[in-house]
Formats: sequence, C-alpha cells, structure tokens
Amino acid sequence: MKGNNLGEFEELILLAVASLEKEAYAVSVKEELEKRANRVTNISAIHSSLYRLEDKGFLISEFGGATQKRGGKKKRYFQVTNTGFAVLKEAKELKENFYKAIPQLAIIRI
Amino acid sequence: MKAEQYHIRPPKVAEKLLRLIYDDELLDDILGDLQEMFQDRVESKGLFRARFHYFKDAFLSIRNYDLRRKRKVFQNNSIPMLKNYIKTTFRTLAKNQVYSALNILGLALGIAACLFISQYVAYEYSYDKFHSNHENLYRVKYMVYRGGDLQIDCAAAVPRVGPFMKENMPEVVDYARAFPMSGVFEKDNIQFREKRVQVADPAFLKIFDYPLIHGDAETALAEPNTVVITESIANKYFGRTDVVGESLNLYTWIEKTLEITGVTKDVPDNSHLKYNFLISYETLNNETRNDDGTASSETAWGWYDFNTYVLLKDGTDPKAFDEKFEDVLYAERGEDFEKFNFKAEFPLQPITDIHLYSNLLQESEPTEQGDGDTVFFLSIIAAFILVIAWINYINLSTAKSLERAKEVGVRKSMGAYRKQLVNQFLTESFVLNFIALALAVIVVIITTPFFNQLIDSQLSRAFFLQPQFWLAVIGIYIIGSFLSGLYPAFILSSFRPIQVLKGKMTTNKSGILLRRALVVFQFTASVTLIAGTIIVYQQLSHMKKLDVGFDMTDTMVMRGPQVFAVDSLFGTALNSFENELRSNPNIADVTNSSNVPGDEIFWTRGMRKQEDTRDKNFTVYLVGVDQEYFPTYDIEFLAGRNYDKTFTTDTGNVIINKATMEYLDIQTPEEAIGQKVVYGGNKRTIIGVVDNYRQQSVKNNINPLVFPLTETNASFITVKLKSNDYQQAYDETKAVYDNFFPGNPFDTFFLDEFYNKQYANEQNFSRAFTLFAVFAIIVACLGLFGLTSFTALQRTKEIGIRKVLGADVTQLVMILSKEFLILIAIANVISWPIVYLIMDGWLDNFTSRISIGLSVFLISAILVVLIALIAVGNKTLSIAKTNPVKALRYE
Repeated sequence: MKGNNLGEFEELILLAVASLEKEAYAVSVKEELEKRANRVTNISAIHSSLYRLEDKGFLISEFGGATQKRGGKKKRYFQVTNTGFAVLKEAKELKENFYKAIPQLAIIRI
Repeated sequence: MKAEQYHIRPPKVAEKLLRLIYDDELLDDILGDLQEMFQDRVESKGLFRARFHYFKDAFLSIRNYDLRRKRKVFQNNSIPMLKNYIKTTFRTLAKNQVYSALNILGLALGIAACLFISQYVAYEYSYDKFHSNHENLYRVKYMVYRGGDLQIDCAAAVPRVGPFMKENMPEVVDYARAFPMSGVFEKDNIQFREKRVQVADPAFLKIFDYPLIHGDAETALAEPNTVVITESIANKYFGRTDVVGESLNLYTWIEKTLEITGVTKDVPDNSHLKYNFLISYETLNNETRNDDGTASSETAWGWYDFNTYVLLKDGTDPKAFDEKFEDVLYAERGEDFEKFNFKAEFPLQPITDIHLYSNLLQESEPTEQGDGDTVFFLSIIAAFILVIAWINYINLSTAKSLERAKEVGVRKSMGAYRKQLVNQFLTESFVLNFIALALAVIVVIITTPFFNQLIDSQLSRAFFLQPQFWLAVIGIYIIGSFLSGLYPAFILSSFRPIQVLKGKMTTNKSGILLRRALVVFQFTASVTLIAGTIIVYQQLSHMKKLDVGFDMTDTMVMRGPQVFAVDSLFGTALNSFENELRSNPNIADVTNSSNVPGDEIFWTRGMRKQEDTRDKNFTVYLVGVDQEYFPTYDIEFLAGRNYDKTFTTDTGNVIINKATMEYLDIQTPEEAIGQKVVYGGNKRTIIGVVDNYRQQSVKNNINPLVFPLTETNASFITVKLKSNDYQQAYDETKAVYDNFFPGNPFDTFFLDEFYNKQYANEQNFSRAFTLFAVFAIIVACLGLFGLTSFTALQRTKEIGIRKVLGADVTQLVMILSKEFLILIAIANVISWPIVYLIMDGWLDNFTSRISIGLSVFLISAILVVLIALIAVGNKTLSIAKTNPVKALRYE
C-alpha cells in the first residue's frame, strides 16, 4: 500500500473516529482527541483531516442528526472504511516490528 | 426555554467568511459544527469568548480553502453528464430541423469558403519556397536611369553582371543565368514548337532544387551542345525517361544537335521560373563568339535578356549588398555611365518575392504572376466570411433561447450549477461546429477541381494531406466553437429558473441590441462584397469594351516557321505563302510582324532626334512590321503614310506612334513627318505617325512604339478573315502552311482570345469575388431568418391583437419587415464608404478605369433587400396569417 502511509495526526483522527463508532463527527472527534490524547486542536484542522481522509477512501460519511443547537444544520457522521482499518492495522504492525527489534523497548513491553 | 437560548446566533461576518471558504457541498455541516461549538461555548465561557473563538475558527479555516469537493464531484460526473449533453444536443437538433439545418449549413458554408481561400492563399505564398536555399537566393534586377528617369525596370539582367558579382563580391557563393528561348525541337521527324527553353549556367542545377532523375547535376550543363530535359518532355519525345545519351535537334536562331545529359523532375507549379529544356550555357557562348574569342553572352553589359540568380552567404543583408555593389559597379562602368549619360543598377530581389510582388519587364511567366494585394484581400474576405458564419451561429442560438429557457429552468431547479449549463451549451457548440466542419471539409475536398476550374488555380487534393491544413482546421474548430458558443452559453445559463418556469420571458434589451448589431455587421459585409463584385464586373467589361485602337475581330495569328534557314530563300517563300493566302476568297489580308498586340515587346532601343545629344535618349519598343500591318489591324494614321512596296527607299524610313512623337518632343503629327531620328545606331526618317493603340492591356501604360520595316520578320503571321467560318479558314490556311513550310508545327490562336488572356487575373478575381459574395449573402440571410423568427415569436401576442383590431396581412408583413429593413439600411450606409475606399484603390491599378457611380450602391442595396425579403418573406407571411385566436391563447 505504497503512498498510504498515515501521518501521526491522521492516525489519531482515524483512531478517534473508529473508537467513537457511529457517533463520529467533527466536534465529537475533537472532543475525543482532547479526552484521550490530550491534544487541543482547532476545529478547522479536524475538518481538513477528516475530508482528506475521506478523499483517500479511509473514511466514508453520511448526513444525519440536525439539531436546533446546530441551527438546523445536519451533522456529517464519519465511519472508518475497510481500507481505513487495513491502513491502521498496517501502521500498528509497522511500529510493532520496530518495537520488537529494539531490546530496551521490548523489555519494557514485557 | 432551551430553544430560546439558541437564538443567539454566531457572528454573521464570520459566517460569510466561511461561506467564501467552503464550497456548497461542505458548507452545511461545517457551519453546523461551528455553530454547535459556539453554543457550547456560550454556555461554558460566555458570549464574548464564544464569538471570539468562532472568529478564530473561521479565520483558521482559511487554510481549508482548497478543500473543495466540487472538483471531485465534476470528475466523477463529467462523463455521464457529457453523454447527457451530447444526447440533448442531438435531441434539440432533431426537434428543430429547420433551425439546425440553417445553423449547420451556414457554418459549413462559411468554413468551406474560408478553407478554400486559405488553401489558395497558402499556395500563392508557397512560390519558390521549395528551394532549400530560398532564403539566400536572389534575382538580379536590371534598372536603367536616363537623365534621372527610370527607363528600364527589368527582371532580366545582362550576361556580364552574374560573373562580375561573383568575382568582386565575396558574399556571392554562386550565380546562375537563364536565358529564355523558344524553338522547334525535332527527334526522328517528330517536331514540336517548344516554349520554356532556357539556356542555363552549370550552377543552375546546383543552386536550385530541381532534382535530376537521370544524369549528374555537377556535370550535366558543363559541355557545349548538351541539354537537360524534364520528365514529361522525355516521355513526349521518347516515351521513357532514361534518355541520357540520346539527342534532339534544335531549330531556332541556334541550330544544333543537342545531347541529352540529364532528366529532371517536372518543374513544380509553384516555381516562378519554369523550364522544359535547359541548354548548356556554352552552347550559347559558341553562337555569340566574337573575333577575339570572347563571347557576347559572357561580356555584354547591355543585352538584358538574362535572368540572373545569385546565392548569397548565410546572413548577408541584401540592402547592404546593393549599396556595396553600386560602388563596385561604378568603379567598373562609371566611365561609360558618364559618357552615355545613363546609370544602370542591379538590385537584388528575394526569389520568394517574385511571384507576388514583382511586376517587371520580361518576367519569366508574365501571365502567371500573382498579385500580393489580391491575395491579401482574399485572406481578409476569408476571415470575414468565417466571422459572418460564427455570428450567424450566435444569432440563431440566442434566438433559440426562448425554447431552451424551460430546459434551463428545469436543469437549474434540479441543481445544475451555472458552470455546468455553460459547459452544456459549449458542448453543443463543439458538436455543431464539428458537424459543420466535417461537412465543410467534405465539400472542399469534393469541389476542389471545380474551384480550380473556376478561378484557374492549381490546388491539388494533396494539400489536404499537409499538416498545416489540419492545423488550420483544428484551429478554426476550437476558436470557432468557443467564440460562437460562449455568448449563447452565458445568455442561456443566466435565466432565472423561477421566472422561466412561470413562463414569463424577460427580453434582455442589450441582448437584442447585440443581435441587431451582429446582423448589421453581416449585411455590411454582404453589401460590401456585392458592391465590390459589381464594380469588378463593370471594370472588366469596361476594359473589354474599351477602344484598344486596333481591330482584333476575326483575326487569326500563326507563329512563323522556324525550321527553315533564314536566308534569301525564306523571304521568297514567305512572300509566295502570303500571296497564296491572299488569293483565298475568305481571307481579307495577311501581314507578318515581330509582335502582335497583346504580346510583351522585348525588343528595345534608345532613341533620339538626330540633332539631339545622346543624353536625350529614351527607350522605345520596336515592332518589326511589313507593309500590310497597319491596314490589317486597322490602325489609324494621324499623319504621313504607310510603308509602300513600290518605294524601295522605305528601309531608311520609320513609322512611330503618337507616344514616341511626344517623347521626341514634337507637337503635332504633321510636324513629325520628315524628321530624322536615331535609334540603336540606325538613322531613319519618320514617314508616318500612327495613333496610340493598346499594345498591351489597360493595366499597362502606352509605351513609345517604333515600327521599322522588316519584310521577312515572320515571328507572327496575322490573317484577317472575311467570314465567320473559322474552321474552314483554319483548315485551308493549315494546308497552305504545311505545303510551304513542311516540318513546322502549325501553331495558331485567335487574337481576341489571346488579347483577353491578359485579363485572366481580373477574370479569376471577379469569379472568386462573386463566389464569396454569394457565400456571404446566403449566410447573412440565414442569420436574418433566425432573427426574424425570434422577434416574430416574441411579438405573437401583439400580432394577434393587431389582427383582432382589424390589421390586414399586408400591414402586418410591413410591420414585421420594418425592423430588418432598417438594419439593412444601416448596413448599406456603413458599407458605402468602405466599398468606395477599397474599390477606388483597386481601380487605380488600371490606366483606364471606371468611376464608381451611384448605381452600384443602388443596385447592391436593392439586391440585398430583395434577397432578404425572399429569405424571410415566407416566415413573416406565415406569422401574419396565423389565426389570432391561436396567438392570443398561447400562454
């Protein structure tokens, strides 16, 4: 899967979307990132990554849940596609390979 | 309570910014996200900070400007949409067959005309470009000034100048001379009179690109008595081309057996210099050898019959060369210039300019010479016709917009972007233009031979295989599609869906104005072309009807025999021949002469009164005649008498024309009689002055002519016939000719045809003009038809009401026609000064010209109005005749 390498931030977003299951939209993704990764980001950065990941085919989106709070505007819910999961898995394995090869880290892991 | 809370709206300015940043596709959910966070912040941090954060988010979103989804959407949808556009295009075409036919036909006609002309123009510009050295090849002109006046401006130079240039000017790589001749060639008793015989230097085949099929270019013209012939000549005499080593007999003033040393391909049509035979230069040198061993054809500075070409080194500036050579020449010839009070110049002329921009004495192919102005003129006409056709398309498409409006409305309410609609109509334009172009190319390819015949050109279908042609076609296609498609596309896509779907058509005032302007433009071009055509025709018939000063009816001319020793016997034979012809009851008179009217005279001398000094010399043109010349041609004597057979002293006398008399500074013809003149070393007494007649067409000036008595100069034998039975006269004359001059080809022509050939260019020009005028008017009428239908449709209701109120059909037709009649009137007024300016300039090319009368404009105006009425009459009539109930119910 050449060219599908994830950036660190993108990986986080993908993970957040996956962990939120069906409740992932830009605002919830931002909150998830703040909660789990302690990362404060601007919403525009989240938007940018979400849409790019969708363009790459790692995410799909559908509309739903217009609330008054949102001024009647719909939410765009994101879900990780199979490709997306494959990429995540690959990223994980890649790192694990390194971790295995590095004794100091391997010991810590035990 | 909670709902109330959400009445606090995020700042509008920031929202606007977001709308600018994000595309429609993304905007909604992003605005939603931001608003949700805003509301959260209002609760947690207060309004002010919430606003601040909203602004911050909005500003930071600027980085997402390129996060547009539109591009992606288009990529995904463009192919099915394109299919849809094309489908709609064909449906619309099928729905409005008349419109479609008009539209496509108009375009196809315009493009075809444009292609024809550009083909012709490209051909005219291609002359002599096939020489690989063409950028460095020049012809040496010969100009002679006497007393400051230009007396000779000649294409052929003197034999000495070529070698002299090479010896003295390091810029000259090589030179080649070509001396034109004609004569009879014979091979085993097959004889033909041949023209395009050139005596050429050995370098001729090296500096020019006339490839040899057989023989060696290096040595082919090196030896005396050798000849190089073309492929078709080889086939004509031998039936094959590998004829190197064979020989041909030449009969003219040189009589020799020539060995064939080379066969070249036929000379391309687009060569200004044409030959069938190239005789080696040494052959000529042997004929002109003087007692001291030198040859006049190498040393002469005054014999100007030699087309001289030089090949210069790369990057030589011809202007600087000319200036430098003037000094070099003066060092050599200055003494003579001073002594005889004249000055000669040999300026260079680029070989590629000869065909279109040269009109000198002794051009190699005077009847083939092109005219740069005409060619330029035609290019402009071509562009005009194309523009007219495009305008037509614009007109018809916008006229159709009423019918398309609903479609646009539906498409827009289904969510089409304006850009998509523009794309749709551009696609239509591309499809239509493509059909029209294909049609045009087919028309052009099929009708090229017809076109060639019509304007006497040599366009070949091979032209269509050239990449330039297809480049032009593709260029026209792309430019045309965009030009003609953009305006309708923007008009159509600008309709507001709600209004359109309600059926309320707003008529755009500026749109109608534009369309009217376009129609005016089209008709201006049409009227200009029609008036131009009329003027060309008038001038042409004026020239033909013009009193040329001699009688050319029922006159047959034959070329004199050349396979005959020019000695005393020849004179006797010629005399008996003429007498036998005179005894024929069908023949009124017979004369022999060195030239006939309509022929360019190459025989020139300097002349002056005997008592004058040499500096009074002026150039006269000589026509050798016998005693019957003036009676046969019915040329009027102003004073004095004709040559008379009973006066043996007439060889010391001379007859001149009025122009010569004026040059001699003699006031009346009577005064001239008995005056003594000198020309070319001969002293003569003037015994007669004849009226000026047009030796050449009215395009040329009347030159001073001198008619020495040369009883046996039988270049041409003219026979004046009594009856109209040309065939019988031809047969009888041929029988006598063959009897007296066996072995000579019987080569005749009728003088009126021969003379009028001088107008071949103008005739072609007028035919081309007519053709394109017809094109233009047809296309313009198509446009008018579209406009009328459009306005009539808009006024359906008005017409219905008028009818109900009692208007009759005639009145209605008048009302409907009024609009375009005004447009045509405007077009006429605009075109008049244009026509006047252009055509007046053209007419100035002629020494005898018509003046442009009012009638031309009246005729063209009436013609255009009539054609326009016919074109739209049917449409207006049918609208005027419709049942008013239908019209009033149409909503």
